Amino acid sequence: MRLAFILGEIGGGLRRNVSMVVSVILVTFVSLTFVGTAGMLQMQINQMKGYWYDKVQVAVFLCVDTSTSPSCASGPATDEQKKNIETLLDSAAVKPYVTSWAYESQADALKHFKEQFANSPIVDSVSADQLPASFRVNMVNPEKYQIINETFSATPGVETVIDQRQLLEKLFSVMNIASLVAVGIAGLMIICAILLIATTIRLSAFSRRRETGIMRLVGASKAVIQLPFVLEGVIAAVIGAVLASGTVWAVAKFFIQDYLADQYKDTAFISANQVLILTPGLLVLGILLAGISSLLTLRKYLKV
Amino acid sequence: MIRFDNVTKIYDQKTRPALDSISLEIDRGEFVFLVGASGSGKSTFLRLVLKEDHATGGIVYVAGQNVANISSWRVPKLRRGIGVVFQDFRLLPNKTVFANVAFAMQVIGKSRGIIRETVPEVLKTVGLEGKENRRPHELSGGEQQRVAIARAVVNKPGILLADEPTGNLDPTTSLGIMKVLDKINRNGTTVVMATHDDDIVNEMRKRVIELRNGVVLRDEAKALYTSMMPIIPAADSGSGRSAGAHK
Repeated sequence: MRLAFILGEIGGGLRRNVSMVVSVILVTFVSLTFVGTAGMLQMQINQMKGYWYDKVQVAVFLCVDTSTSPSCASGPATDEQKKNIETLLDSAAVKPYVTSWAYESQADALKHFKEQFANSPIVDSVSADQLPASFRVNMVNPEKYQIINETFSATPGVETVIDQRQLLEKLFSVMNIASLVAVGIAGLMIICAILLIATTIRLSAFSRRRETGIMRLVGASKAVIQLPFVLEGVIAAVIGAVLASGTVWAVAKFFIQDYLADQYKDTAFISANQVLILTPGLLVLGILLAGISSLLTLRKYLKV
Repeated sequence: MIRFDNVTKIYDQKTRPALDSISLEIDRGEFVFLVGASGSGKSTFLRLVLKEDHATGGIVYVAGQNVANISSWRVPKLRRGIGVVFQDFRLLPNKTVFANVAFAMQVIGKSRGIIRETVPEVLKTVGLEGKENRRPHELSGGEQQRVAIARAVVNKPGILLADEPTGNLDPTTSLGIMKVLDKINRNGTTVVMATHDDDIVNEMRKRVIELRNGVVLRDEAKALYTSMMPIIPAADSGSGRSAGAHK
């Protein structure tokens, strides 16, 4: 009986306030979509880190004719210098940090270069002796890059040591900034949503002050009087959260999974189903938003 | 049933108290008229009984409980034991007579079966049989007030507070309302009625408590609206206060 009564009150309240309820739904929808997007970006960053960090190598480039670094003063790396580097790579100081290494000759480098830039006219103007030979080192722990750097950067015949991870870090930092921007916008929109929910509840309480006044007088409990108002806000916010989850999922499905993943086959993208993990979080956030702001409003405008 | 012990209520420090240290007791089953000019403290009295306000000083007892000790979450329980009727009826315009009365039971969680059984009974008590499906605007003022009374007593409160219930009604209709209140009183409910209506008070011959400027001017059993006692121009505090008020 009491449940049916409260549900009836909620239905009446929602109908009476349609335009405000729709605006609450839209604001929570937009704000939670930004929250979801930020979450999705973070998931994508983690996914790429997991994928790339297994593959990235530390490259020890050897001197070529055109090298300018001081350690290349004596011209291109000699076979002796190469031997020396190989010995160092297998030495006790370095070996524990290295899972494997491979030598990429200038001819190999040219082959890879041609594959990578197959569609570019630059390929024709590059010859093997312009490209440096290198040792590709796979690390046990990619974070320990510094060890290889210290060991080899001053070794004769080595032009430079490059951690490929650093190239990725740049990409990740761009993505991190994008997700921070999304979080910032989400924060503003959430403030909007809280204020709008508070206003809606206040209007709703005002338009039903006769009912609530009588409820007070005949001794209705605080819960019976306030619950319909709180639930009105919560229902609107939940609808907004469901729409936001749907949008985030659609972006993951149709943009990332079907388009980006198809275009860039060698990159690891998140799948649409992974994004569904965000849904409960968005729902809880929506419920908290509405619940807290309506309770605070009711404390002020609907005394019992 | 209701006891005031030196109760003072001050709304604003700069003006005189709305109630100034009044003490009185109303027993179970009594019918009491609360009379006095506007601003004499009648409404404040009723508000204190309902715990809509808290007394500035003194103690208010309702049904044996010091209302100051009732925690806010138990206030609804106190109010379930008190029915209230107003001058302006305060009915819900979009609900039928039946639904208006049933509303008071729904919000405290009564079952549908009990509501179906009780509401027609109460409507019969107040003389509204056959009008269950009317809406308030289809009823006369007297009938609307009967609906309000039915709503106030449907949960069988021990106390019925009526704040000028006949203030908007003509004398004949008022008399009908008084019959209903009298009937409810004879069923054992304590009735406290604040009023300006001298005809009704003179007709009913019940206990009359007259307030003036927040003090009890007189408290007589089976009394009339105006005091039968001569005002003694003595230099005691009571007459001094009332003389001051006339300035």
